[in-house]
Amino acid sequence: MNPITDDDLVLYLYRDGLDAARIAQITAALAASGALRERYAAIEHAVAHFGQDEIAPEPDLGARLWQRLEPQLEEAGVFVSPPPARVGASVPGRSVVDRLRAWLAPPPLRLAFAAAAVLVVAIGTGFIVGRNSATVSPPVASTEADGSAARVLEAYVAANLRATEGVLLTGSNSRDASLLEGNRELAQSLLESNRLYALAAARAGNTRLADFLRQLEPVLLSLANQPGMAAVQSSEDLRRFLDATDLLFQVRATEARLARNGERRT
Amino acid sequence: MTDDEARWIARARAGESAAFRHLADANAAALFRVCARITGDRATAEDAVQEAFFNAFRHLGDFDGRSAFSTWLYRIAVNAALMQVRKRPHLEVAWPKRDDGDDTTLLDAADESPTPDRHAVSAEIRRDVEAELARMTPIERTAFVLRHQEGRSLEEISAALSLNVGAAKQAIFRAVRKLRATLEAPGEPA
Repeated sequence: MNPITDDDLVLYLYRDGLDAARIAQITAALAASGALRERYAAIEHAVAHFGQDEIAPEPDLGARLWQRLEPQLEEAGVFVSPPPARVGASVPGRSVVDRLRAWLAPPPLRLAFAAAAVLVVAIGTGFIVGRNSATVSPPVASTEADGSAARVLEAYVAANLRATEGVLLTGSNSRDASLLEGNRELAQSLLESNRLYALAAARAGNTRLADFLRQLEPVLLSLANQPGMAAVQSSEDLRRFLDATDLLFQVRATEARLARNGERRT
Repeated sequence: MTDDEARWIARARAGESAAFRHLADANAAALFRVCARITGDRATAEDAVQEAFFNAFRHLGDFDGRSAFSTWLYRIAVNAALMQVRKRPHLEVAWPKRDDGDDTTLLDAADESPTPDRHAVSAEIRRDVEAELARMTPIERTAFVLRHQEGRSLEEISAALSLNVGAAKQAIFRAVRKLRATLEAPGEPA
């Protein structure tokens, strides 16, 4: 039998790093030898007092950490949706609807609409020209053009989805008539751009994205026609629908995936 | 990983700040405990936890779900605590130091029991053990804390510290030798 070292006894103490046969040998040797038992007791004694004075976390640890962490994460661009505390922050001199528009509408929404139209025309034209022409484009140039078109489309769809997320949240949570009125207008404009993006995605061969955008259409349509007078019932229905379909989560996940794709391509 | 946790992680990946907050709240206390054990200092432990969350959340896309989310966070926190200790040499004296003028050996002191001073003697032993802990290298101290206090296996310790299992064992052996040296009087049999 190999001699039993103090290091073996340390491993034996924690029953870690020794195979079963070695553990059995040491157990038998400890039973038989008083000197070995003394060595083992010295090791147990050495570690026994360690760690008895624990530094416990304070009750407000989570809140304090978050207070420091939130601005760091925000600055690093980790958040896609705004931190909850800032959503309701008031901006003096602006109406509720204006604030809602500022939060929900991506700045280049009108531009996005135009870009999507250009994209659809470009892809459609390319498709027709490609079918009728015998000329084959150089593969590298074609790949670059495809990548660039996909990047543009994804960037605009991500912005549109962010606005859609806001419209869904407002539609399902708000009981304020003026907020819902602004929300209806936004839903209408998002509905139009959403149709164009779905078409562009389908033409570009991104059927997964196209299908997802088509799924959003009936929801945006009902939000665009959400009755102001029956806001409470309507909001509850929408909330139940969102819970049942997990649509909000899917919108956020798709938005994040498109943003990540964009980052990878640049 | 539970479905609920997976859902919070997915929401955090989508950039939802409330999901980050939820994940931070759910794991803060456990991470603080291990960081406090490694650093021995409350403020430094908090800094380590903050750094760990920041790094973890920035690289949430790297979490592949093969281990539990808490295990993944735990490894990041251990390394953040280790970095804090390395960055701040003054932490080497943050633990109470032994009074070198006291020639009473700790085993002698422990053997005086039972006496009315037993609790005071125990506290003195603990202080000296912790002082010895401060003399360990950061790797020795962390490996020992993870094995002895956190109950982590050698495999887990080696993964957390990016060591091979043999090196993790050796770090623990050295730590135990240093603790024994504190408790045993010169020339006294072990």
